[in-house]
Amino acid sequence: MLNQQCEDRSVLRYVYYYLARILSDTGAQGLSTGGGIPTPNWDALADIDAVGGVTRADVVPRIVEQLTVAAKNSEFEFHARRLQSLKALTSAPSTNSEILSRLYEVVFGILEKVGDNPQKRKKGIFGAKGGDRDSIMRSNLQYGALSALRRLPLDPGNSAFLHYAVNGISFVDPVAVRQALEIVSELATRDPYSVAMALGKHVETGGALHDVLHLHDVLARVSLARLCCTISRARALDERPDIRSQFNSVLYQLLLDPSERVCFEAILCVLGKYDNNERTEERASGWYRLTREILKLPDASSKESSKDKSQKTKRPQPLIKLVLRRLESSFRSFSRPVLHAAARVVQEMGKSRAAAFSVGLQDVDEGAHVNTFAEAADFNDSDENAHPESIRRTASVSNANAGRDTIAGLLASLMEVVRTTVACECVYVRAMVIKALIWMQSPIDSFDELESIIASELSDPAWPAALLNDVLLTLHARFKASPDMAVTLLQIARIFATKVPGKVDADVLQLLWKTCLVGAGPDGKHKALEAVTIVLDLPPPQPGSMLGITSVDRVFASDPKSALALQKLVQAAVWFLGENANYAASEYAWESATPPGTALMMLDADKMVAAASSRNPTLAGALTRLQRCALGGSWEIRITAAQALTTMAIRSGEPFRLQIYEFLHTLAQGGLQTQFSDMHLSNGEDQGASGTGLGVLLSPMINVLDEMYRAQDDLIKEIRIHDNAKKEWTDDELKKLYETHERLLDLVSLFCYVPRAKYLPLGPTSAKLIDIYRSRHNISASTGLSDPAVATGISDLLYESKPAPAKLDTLDDDLVNAWAANLGDDGLWGNNAPAMNRVNEFLAGDGIDAPEVDEENMISRPSVSYDDMWAKTLLESSELEEDDARSMGSSSPDSTGSVETSISSHFGGMSYPSLFSSRPSATDKAASRGSGPSIYEGLGSPIREEPPPYSSPVTQRYGSFENPLAGNGSQSFESQDDERVSSGNPQFGSALYDFTAGGDDELSLTAGEEVEIEYEVDGWFYVKKKRPGRDGKMAGLVPVLYVNQS
Amino acid sequence: MILAVLFANAEGNILIERFHGVPAEERLHWRSFLVKLGADNLKGTRNEELLVACHKSVYIVYTVLGDVSIYVVGKDEYDELALSEVIFVITSAVKDVCGKTPSERVFLDKYGRICLCLDEIVWKGHLENTEKDRIKRLIRLKPPTEF
Repeated sequence: MLNQQCEDRSVLRYVYYYLARILSDTGAQGLSTGGGIPTPNWDALADIDAVGGVTRADVVPRIVEQLTVAAKNSEFEFHARRLQSLKALTSAPSTNSEILSRLYEVVFGILEKVGDNPQKRKKGIFGAKGGDRDSIMRSNLQYGALSALRRLPLDPGNSAFLHYAVNGISFVDPVAVRQALEIVSELATRDPYSVAMALGKHVETGGALHDVLHLHDVLARVSLARLCCTISRARALDERPDIRSQFNSVLYQLLLDPSERVCFEAILCVLGKYDNNERTEERASGWYRLTREILKLPDASSKESSKDKSQKTKRPQPLIKLVLRRLESSFRSFSRPVLHAAARVVQEMGKSRAAAFSVGLQDVDEGAHVNTFAEAADFNDSDENAHPESIRRTASVSNANAGRDTIAGLLASLMEVVRTTVACECVYVRAMVIKALIWMQSPIDSFDELESIIASELSDPAWPAALLNDVLLTLHARFKASPDMAVTLLQIARIFATKVPGKVDADVLQLLWKTCLVGAGPDGKHKALEAVTIVLDLPPPQPGSMLGITSVDRVFASDPKSALALQKLVQAAVWFLGENANYAASEYAWESATPPGTALMMLDADKMVAAASSRNPTLAGALTRLQRCALGGSWEIRITAAQALTTMAIRSGEPFRLQIYEFLHTLAQGGLQTQFSDMHLSNGEDQGASGTGLGVLLSPMINVLDEMYRAQDDLIKEIRIHDNAKKEWTDDELKKLYETHERLLDLVSLFCYVPRAKYLPLGPTSAKLIDIYRSRHNISASTGLSDPAVATGISDLLYESKPAPAKLDTLDDDLVNAWAANLGDDGLWGNNAPAMNRVNEFLAGDGIDAPEVDEENMISRPSVSYDDMWAKTLLESSELEEDDARSMGSSSPDSTGSVETSISSHFGGMSYPSLFSSRPSATDKAASRGSGPSIYEGLGSPIREEPPPYSSPVTQRYGSFENPLAGNGSQSFESQDDERVSSGNPQFGSALYDFTAGGDDELSLTAGEEVEIEYEVDGWFYVKKKRPGRDGKMAGLVPVLYVNQS
Repeated sequence: MILAVLFANAEGNILIERFHGVPAEERLHWRSFLVKLGADNLKGTRNEELLVACHKSVYIVYTVLGDVSIYVVGKDEYDELALSEVIFVITSAVKDVCGKTPSERVFLDKYGRICLCLDEIVWKGHLENTEKDRIKRLIRLKPPTEF
């Protein structure tokens, strides 16, 4: 058809349209395999119409051929078709290099003919109306060629490319000019120097770039702004300040642009936001520029434009004033896009301002500061009364104050307008406004207003959840920009949690809490503590919000979903508190400030509480809140609170531990406290025979503490006996002591992470004796890989498949250094923070990642492993517990993250491979050797004393159920029974330590025993002994780490 | 980059869609997101009143024109304001082609021409021609500036 002389241009135009669609189709066609698209695929029509049964592969080369010929045809009659052909050709996907090279050829060919015509330029600009046929044809071709060039991939090294693009700026056709500017501004981001050189004379007054200022094409001016910004900030042009200032002045003139789009773009450029990389220095100097620099208009432009603004602005204008006034007027617009954009600009302004605050403005060039500032100050003095109030920053120059106050005043009036914009009916605009307000909020201002705005906003049900979480993330970003706002931001976050629990993502919230806590930590103690006090005041534990919950109960009754969500949030907060309170309060049992020996002195409960709160109010406060939650929350919250309390009990020194111990006892037995407390009535649940219904859950926790205290008592008794008899400790006694120590460590590690090398379950007095035993037997304090808590604690907690030792070293170094240096509290903070960060990363990571994983796994895991673990140690029937545990899991799937970590970081550790089932455990043996076995040691060790049969195999079996993708790495034990055939090529090894079988499949080992390793599975070796052991067994599973492979 | 231009009727059926640089598997999400956005917000809006939304760093400007709602999605240099320009050009072109505020029927009558207009306005994810006359000439296979 293209070849036929078709008279109907419209029909022909359709032909070109379809050809273009055919050429462009590939991408979509190739990608849409399997993706069902319900709406009619209009694109497909193109194929049917034009091709009719022939495949694309057949036609495309022919089409390209035809179009290329047409695009090269320079006959006059063919002119329009030539343009369309060129256009159609560009529709081809840019991956097709053949078509691309043809296109480049065609485009450059055209540009060569029509591009370089400097003498025509002036004529074009001033006489676009008239003109002869040739020049019009030329300009059309220029347009076509440049538009095509714009669609082609950039070719930064190619000087011809740049040359044509730069020439394009002076073309007649406005669209061509825009395309040229877009190309040039993109090129400038890659190679500012050569672009600036090529632009040489265009930027001079009266040059082409200045013509663009008056071009009636918004996007052209936007590109101009970007171009100027890129070049004026380019490092490559540091030698040529003249060029940079020329571009800068063009940029500043764009601030006066009548179009909001251009003006805002220029503002953003001035602010230092011109690409997506956020650089604090850029932003800070952007704010500096905005506040200090002034716009001097060149004579040319003020005479040209007759707008009221520029008549006034013959005098130099400070940028800040221009910008803020412009923004203010934009906020009066009725157009939502304008409002949205203006709010966004204010937000960016806030970002730059925050950056300037955080940098501190010392980096800024002091000379320029004074010079420009003197003028600005003069100006301000002349027409503005100085605002004496609120000096925002520490002043470095005396006369700067006046100007700064002006800025403050201007900002205040702008923010007033911004606030009123919250009334806009569009939630997206409101969200942007709130973000802007959050960013403009400075650490020193009171945030009451913001708080009330947000609080009232959130009551509006129109807010979509995604938008709210977006705002929460803004808080997060805001915190990163200025950590001292942690307190404020956490308070804002709390509003979200209490007002719209159903829409807020608990993970986002936890992320915010965590970063605020950890991020503020190392910087300084006071900041951390400040943040901490807020964390502790977070929704659930805080009396105010507890009241809030009960008082809004009626509202929530109509909305059970959000009631449930609130509960989840509360739970998350309780868990968070349990995990992080020790960090926040910098109270650790292993770094206790209490001198050894005083530990058990304070047995009187009242005195204990008093002493505790006087010593560490933060922790005492957290404790009280958790206790309240353990008594009064819903079922899930109470569980979490009990777990959190246990964690704290284990991690804290005396008297906190004792206090919690006592409390847990009371809780388990359903003592007087619950009867006095009427809070539990509110949730309407059956409290169970044990009073709180937590007895089943609590007993293992109490058991651990019991064991610890019993062992401590025994130790003290022993010490006394030895002292009285003036006897030295024999090796056997020491060994027994050491074993108890290790066993307790294992037990404790089931509940939460503790640094094994430092933790002393037997109390500080045991330290010396254990050291003696260790040094006698060459057991290093950080027993490397055989240290299950450390191995799992680090390698698994971080889920890194890196070999554990590397991690170990860093952690232990940190802790040991901190210990050895014996610094005061402050020192310990700093040194300890990285290690704790790691733990917190894990903990938070756990909380954050967990819900995204298949929920069924999450539900089954903790309950099962938990229950198996303690099946034998519990007094109650296991059936009851099973129910409890299950109800715990299923009624709140999201809680499992917390359940999991606080009950069993070990089980958690074991299960993590299944969280990451993409990680093929079969190929990951090296990693699992590092981490896997130690997990089982954690499991196995407590079992040595009171062995619950089946526990390990069962848990492992569950692990493999949960991880069906893992391949042979996690075969279930049943299948192994069948397949337990030696895989040939046996390896040998010797037992490093004693190991007591925890189940039927396992094999007891005595240290030094020679074994033959049959195969490895999931961190276990299946080994054969040379001769049967005491139990008569020859073969079975042992943890990998217990065996030294020879 | 203008990521998408989408026309839908009052029931939320999509009449025309043009995606640029949006992977096929994401298009479905965009379609349903935009249609839902319109269903939630467009009731009672005046013709050509611009509404705005954003999703992460992507901006959406949409409006209603007779029976047809028009959505434009963009990012980077195509922010809310640039998209307002785009949508303004599109609505005026559609009105031009249809001769009045389009009912769905008229819109479908002029479907081909509207496609051609769109083709001239948005070219490979960038705004191309903005002037009415130019567009009118170009869709009749005439050069952009008359001799």
